[in-house]
Amino acid sequence: MISVKNNLKQLNQNLTWDKGVGILLVLTVIFGWVMTPDFASTSNLGFVLQDIGEILIIALPMTFLIIAGEIDLSVASTLSLASSTMGYAYRSGLGFGIAVFIGILVSILCGAINGFLVNYLGLQSLAVTIGTMGLFRGLCFVLLGNQPVNQLPDFWANLGSESIPHTFLPWSVVIIIPSVIIAWVVLHRTRVGRWTFVTGISAEAARFSGIPDKRFKFWLFVATGFMSGVAAFVYTLRFASASPDSATGYELSVIAAVLFGGVSIAGGFGTMWGVLFSVLELGAIRSVLQLINFTANALQMVSGALLLFSVALPRVIEMLKTRREARVKPSVTSLTSSRSV
Amino acid sequence: MQEVLQIAGAAKRFGGVHALIDANLTLYAGEIHALLGENGAGKSTLLKSLAGVHQLDAGSIRLFGRDFNVSGTRGSQDQGIAVIYQEPSLFPDLTLAENVFVGRQLGKGLKVDWREMNRRAGELFVRLGVPLDPSRRARGLSIADQQIVEIAKALSLNAKVIVMDEPTAALSGSETERLFGVARSLRNEGAALVFVSHRLDEVMELCHRVTVLRDGATVATAAISEVDIDQIVKWMVGREVSELFPKVASNIGETILKVEGLSREGQFDDISFDVKSGEIVGVAGLVGSGRSEVVRAIFGVDKYDSGSVEFLGEKLKRNSPGEAMQRGIAFVPEDRRQQGLFMPISILKNISITMLKTLSNFGLVSRSQELAEGEEWSRKLQIKFNSINDSVDRLSGGNQQKVVLAKWLSTQPRLLIIDEPTRGIDVGTKSEVHRFISEQASRGLGILMISSELPEVLGMADKVLVMREGRLVGRFSAKDATPENVIAAASGAN
Amino acid sequence: MRKLISIREFPIFVVFVLFYLTAGLGNHQIFTTSGLHDILFGSAIVALLAVAETLIIVMKHIDLSIGSVIGFSSYLIGKNASEGHGLFFCMSIGVGLGLLVGALNGLLVAYFRLPSLVVTLGTLYLVRGYFSQVVGGDFINSGQVPKLLTSMATHTFVKVPLLFIVSLIVALIVGLYMRNMRSGRDLYAIGSNHSAALLAGINVAHRTFWAFTAAGGIAGFAGAVLLARYGQAQANSGLGIELNVVAACVVGGVAIAGGVGTVYGAIIGAILLQTIVLALGALGVSQFWQGVVNGALLIAAISLDKILSMRSVRTQIMRKVQHD
Repeated sequence: MISVKNNLKQLNQNLTWDKGVGILLVLTVIFGWVMTPDFASTSNLGFVLQDIGEILIIALPMTFLIIAGEIDLSVASTLSLASSTMGYAYRSGLGFGIAVFIGILVSILCGAINGFLVNYLGLQSLAVTIGTMGLFRGLCFVLLGNQPVNQLPDFWANLGSESIPHTFLPWSVVIIIPSVIIAWVVLHRTRVGRWTFVTGISAEAARFSGIPDKRFKFWLFVATGFMSGVAAFVYTLRFASASPDSATGYELSVIAAVLFGGVSIAGGFGTMWGVLFSVLELGAIRSVLQLINFTANALQMVSGALLLFSVALPRVIEMLKTRREARVKPSVTSLTSSRSV
Repeated sequence: MQEVLQIAGAAKRFGGVHALIDANLTLYAGEIHALLGENGAGKSTLLKSLAGVHQLDAGSIRLFGRDFNVSGTRGSQDQGIAVIYQEPSLFPDLTLAENVFVGRQLGKGLKVDWREMNRRAGELFVRLGVPLDPSRRARGLSIADQQIVEIAKALSLNAKVIVMDEPTAALSGSETERLFGVARSLRNEGAALVFVSHRLDEVMELCHRVTVLRDGATVATAAISEVDIDQIVKWMVGREVSELFPKVASNIGETILKVEGLSREGQFDDISFDVKSGEIVGVAGLVGSGRSEVVRAIFGVDKYDSGSVEFLGEKLKRNSPGEAMQRGIAFVPEDRRQQGLFMPISILKNISITMLKTLSNFGLVSRSQELAEGEEWSRKLQIKFNSINDSVDRLSGGNQQKVVLAKWLSTQPRLLIIDEPTRGIDVGTKSEVHRFISEQASRGLGILMISSELPEVLGMADKVLVMREGRLVGRFSAKDATPENVIAAASGAN
Repeated sequence: MRKLISIREFPIFVVFVLFYLTAGLGNHQIFTTSGLHDILFGSAIVALLAVAETLIIVMKHIDLSIGSVIGFSSYLIGKNASEGHGLFFCMSIGVGLGLLVGALNGLLVAYFRLPSLVVTLGTLYLVRGYFSQVVGGDFINSGQVPKLLTSMATHTFVKVPLLFIVSLIVALIVGLYMRNMRSGRDLYAIGSNHSAALLAGINVAHRTFWAFTAAGGIAGFAGAVLLARYGQAQANSGLGIELNVVAACVVGGVAIAGGVGTVYGAIIGAILLQTIVLALGALGVSQFWQGVVNGALLIAAISLDKILSMRSVRTQIMRKVQHD
């Protein structure tokens, strides 16, 4: 009797959020495979990877940002602006390579603007990035009007739709896989990662520990901008065009994926594994839904629902826990105060 | 005189810390009663119990003869007890009248009657002798005026007991006089006031009776007319200063820290002193005298306007804790929970946060090295825990403080700045902490220690600095420093 | 006069006048009543939503889901009308949807105490996704819009577009509530100092819940206005309007930090944004700059707000020797 209880307790402790998502992923894949054999086909897998490629790329720095206690709603607009810049530059006659380079510079600049406004003017990241979201998106239209750039060099356009020879993997994995590995290592094994976690727990205590929190978070925003630019490159090649209304709604998918991956919106907690599983899960769900003939809009719904679920669940657990504790200890130590004894 | 409030045998503990053991207080209508005691004596806990924030573990509180047993501040307010804190918490965007009547706006039915609210609030302000405009917003109001609004609120709730917790800490001389006038008129109307303060001169001027707490228990109650400051100090300090401060003799060497003319508008002015290696410099003063602000400015967490800081002979960059840390300064802050530690994070990671660079090979943090260092320092400081991977909020206050010390001592600093080394720590751990500090000093570390506990300062320091209202008003060598000297300088009672 | 100048909304009104004049310089047509009419007409919807959003922002929360609610609601109203139901019935559906979504937001924010940003972001896409799913390629065209609504779009009262008057009436109701009702004042208290509000005995959860529900209801109602204005509804109705609404509020003096601002300011903010669009057009700036301007304005408004509020009370340790 006791051993069963202990085992359950053990299970409870080991079942961290990210493992849960991993299990969910496996279940979804199984479900999808049962529903239609097409699901597990290599071409479908390749398709899924293509589908969530940009989201995964941007989710990597977003994970750092959210763990550090910030947020960036402008990432999709940054992607779009970088892509529009690439298209505009190329259409104006510059070599494609140069165009891409300029586009990425632009995305870095976007990140720097966010970083500056949040950390040096001290504005809230939520409000600021709502503003820059509109600002950057607006600039896309200024650059391109309503006309997307549809003529890209054949070589690059093909790269966007082809797979690596003899595999089902799209070329984008060349960028994605190293990015994921680097992000994982940095977050979980380096000083930068530690700084991210502790800054998210308490920026004040971080400062008192000698961490230059403002400068640090500035660079996190810049990194987010940069990765949005990289994602723009992948996106542009995939669609073989640069359009001012690219990636609409991607910011939601990224944030939903990160939060569903177990990263706490309050900051300070999360794992890269969880985010990875979560993005893959998002892709898997979308694929399943498509294969059973749901429309693309279902993805939005699913993302929204996942988002709500991933913030509600920890809170529900917490509320149940406090209720249980309150029953055990009747004395009420109600309000906290910063004054010490 | 009518007995309004009686607290008997109050006891309360938080984890391992006994904040109150046997506190007693009797309050009569029409008196201003001083509640005194050093930091950690239990005043704050007692007040919070009255305010409904805490529940006592033992003892009783009787209000007008009836048992007083509420949880939550609304309940305590309804019963007629109002607490005015040092830094009142108003609603900056609401008008003063709204602040007074917040949550209970005057009106007919659901509708707010602005005119009536303004009129009544205005009446209250007049009654208190302070001409505030009830229709102005609270934002930008001075602390003194904010307190008046809080008092007006208390009056509108028909408070019979009004507690003022360190009300004068942030007030100017004339504002203090004004507050005293208000207190006297309240008392003339029959209210009972409790006045908590460190400023003994003010206590002597304003209050009728005094109760002194020490280590959670009431040690004395007397009429002001029958005592003097010296007697009060003796009650507050009590035990022998020489008690168990394992001061290890150390050789005092060269100057490592030199602070000159440090000033910051509104916080501190013209602070100059130095710290030598092997020396323990104690900084005494009342709560709010600017000590923490000064050391935070030295370390770089806060800015300063003018002056200079020289460390090991070279100028120290302003406003850069990272640089201070690299050069060899360690800083144990005042607020352990908010500033010194990352509460949900493990003990190990809290200790290593300052050493990460040295623990890394090619940018990757070596977990084995980290563990080794963490275990070594835990051993050195005798930190008691279940597992080094437990989060620090599981530890007792004393062990938490040791973690903070471990975190900083592991950086091999030359100067250790500590703000309130033993606040909220049980007696046993206190002496351990003192021992470490002495040991470090004997190894050549310079120590700059802020403390509000007199015995601690007097027992450990080679040199005692006293601050009052942002200025350095006293310098004593270990020989010359006595409780009386220090308190006199700190409270300006000359 | 002094009092007039010190009202928070006054500077915004001045800015509006300035932009209006600038716009008029480039295009004299704007100075005519039809010019003014266009501004008011064009800003009616954002103004109405900004009124709803004000309820939320003063509590130091945010509601990003209103864009999806208004779109979905406009479609539902049109769809039901085209199937022959009476106007009142259709409106109830629309408002009902809004109340439902608002209640969901309120539940999660007030009782589960989840951050409103995340919650409303989630409901935004939940609703929009479901909306797209339900609509598919279907759309409501002007023939299916209830006659009453289309006629409202074209009528004016004292030269002011009727649609704008509707927004104005809603603003007045909400404004009076926030100014004169006890529970309305509590909203400001909650946004100004959340913990003190709890201590003061205000039922914060209750108020928060109902504020979100009401905001949702107003957005649902606004669906009718949207339908009337455009004479159509389809899957992307109301898309992206959130930014405009938040910008209108912030520019109108409803600070993101909560506790301050009125619906009247929000309305002026909405009008101002519309005027700026026209002013830019008059200056020859292409319409594509609109998004940029909205975003830049929002950022500028937030920055300004932050700078002005830096006059915070820092702990004064040194006794003020000067005025003793």
